[in-house]
Amino acid sequence: MPGKTIIEKILSVHSGEDAWAGDRVWADLDLAVVRDFGGPNVVLEYEKQMDGEPVWDPHKIAMTFDYQAPAKVVQVANNQRICREFAAKHGIPHVFDVNCGVGQHVLLEQGMILPGSVVIGTDSHMNLLGAVGSFSSGMGTTDVAAAWATGRLWFRVPESIKITFKGSYDYPASAKDLTLFLLSKIDTTKTIYKALEFYGEPIDGLSLAGRLTLASMVTEMEGKIGLIIPDEDILSWIGERSGRKVDAVLPDRDASYWEEREFDIGGLEPLIACPDRPDNVKPVREVAGTHVDQVFVGSCTNGRFEDLRVAAEVLKRMGGKIAPQVRMIVTPATTEVAVEAVEAGLYETFIKAGAMVTNQGCSLCTIGHHGVLAEGDVLVSTGNRNFRGKLGKGSEAYLASPAVAAATAVKGEIALPE
Amino acid sequence: MTDSFVFKGRAWVVGDDIDTDMIYHGSYLPLTDPQEMAKHALEYVPGMEDFTDRVQPGDILVAGRNFGSGSSREHAVITLQYNDVAAIVAESFSRIFYRNAVNLGFPILEVAGVTRAVETGDELEVDANTGRICNLTKGTEVQGTPLSGLEKEIMTSGGLFNFLKKDMQTAE
Repeated sequence: MPGKTIIEKILSVHSGEDAWAGDRVWADLDLAVVRDFGGPNVVLEYEKQMDGEPVWDPHKIAMTFDYQAPAKVVQVANNQRICREFAAKHGIPHVFDVNCGVGQHVLLEQGMILPGSVVIGTDSHMNLLGAVGSFSSGMGTTDVAAAWATGRLWFRVPESIKITFKGSYDYPASAKDLTLFLLSKIDTTKTIYKALEFYGEPIDGLSLAGRLTLASMVTEMEGKIGLIIPDEDILSWIGERSGRKVDAVLPDRDASYWEEREFDIGGLEPLIACPDRPDNVKPVREVAGTHVDQVFVGSCTNGRFEDLRVAAEVLKRMGGKIAPQVRMIVTPATTEVAVEAVEAGLYETFIKAGAMVTNQGCSLCTIGHHGVLAEGDVLVSTGNRNFRGKLGKGSEAYLASPAVAAATAVKGEIALPE
Repeated sequence: MTDSFVFKGRAWVVGDDIDTDMIYHGSYLPLTDPQEMAKHALEYVPGMEDFTDRVQPGDILVAGRNFGSGSSREHAVITLQYNDVAAIVAESFSRIFYRNAVNLGFPILEVAGVTRAVETGDELEVDANTGRICNLTKGTEVQGTPLSGLEKEIMTSGGLFNFLKKDMQTAE
């Protein structure tokens, strides 16, 4: 019998069974999360099915309002109220309201996400928490409502792909470029439902923010989860915040992988995903000069403090002003990020450059709020999706790093940072 | 109930990589009433803007690779279910869409090569038990992957909650 991959280990522990890739198991959940989108649907479904019964464990349920924060339309205001009232009725303490930011990032900062945990939520980018070795998964209304009732859900144990990077790269290349590089190299029809494990010196060198960037776009690779083994720094960061001693889940030395891939990223250059697919990736230099109407720095993929800092530094270095015809929107992922950015003077840099800094949250990624696009508009975003018409019929979106986004805002066309 | 997993209906064929924004656009996410959600099915799929006016109960949606990629929104399944689409047959499904369909008891089937074998308007017979698709208009057949295991049990129970309730009764 060979050894186990990380996901096989996590699901064995949580199901109490000897779980192997391909098996169906019922696993105990550590946390079941809803947002202000999906959340009201979950509440209504729960009430319809469970008829006033108490939830499985109020402390293992969380609500994070990041979709339309604060509400713009009355229907969403009503939806948020439905969630708040349900939380009050069932004694659910962990409600992170519209002033908190992107849910997964908030939960991480709160010390509620531990390596080796199983977390589900109504967000297809829930799996970015694989950045700290948690098995987290985006799910629909029915799954989460059932989870609130029983504390368990069914899983098909994914096969695992071991991806090892080697080589090194320098600024202005970043974790986003490494991520886009991988998207361009893998066949996403072959990574559907797979668990990816990431290794190699370029991964060891990534900060938490960089790890979150990579893990978040495993969704666009169609993978189930992208797992990175947390290093000592990240373990102690989580330990401090959770007040618990935490350990990483390691794969067995003789674990059996569906596939093992190695990528040399030596000399990586800034990349950009062109319309309308996240894997339609080209070097920035090949599309440099393309006219741009709007630039967005933020999202669950690139909304951490260091993402904002890189963008601010590029703005400063390139003259401190964005092009007059460009609209630039900057959104910190969470309150903690916002405070850090204010204290570091980044807000002043952005505002004086002509950018708009919004409150923390998902901002324009969710098309629920602001920054929607006109027909013919072109957006360069640090987010994770550029599907056709996502932000407005007839608009186009490119995906790039914070450094490229900031340089683009200064030039008014797709540009490399100077 | 398993034996009734055979559907006969008219085909609507769409291409590869139909994502959840195309099936059910993000601007309608605040909706919670399934009847309201049903009004926006496939609105952003080029050429399918008037789908909800033209779809008939029992019609079958045929799609290419990676149907339903993107968001976790269950609205994307519900919007088709509440247009009385009988089943979806695709070359492959994105994982969250697949799971949501199973959990809602909505029949879906993976059939390699199906988009080459079917044109919009063809009359199909889909047997979710055997995975066989008969194109009655063209007189041809394609073999897909039949439903199996836990997913089949959940789907044929009428969805996850029905399955769990049956399970709880058995346990009692």
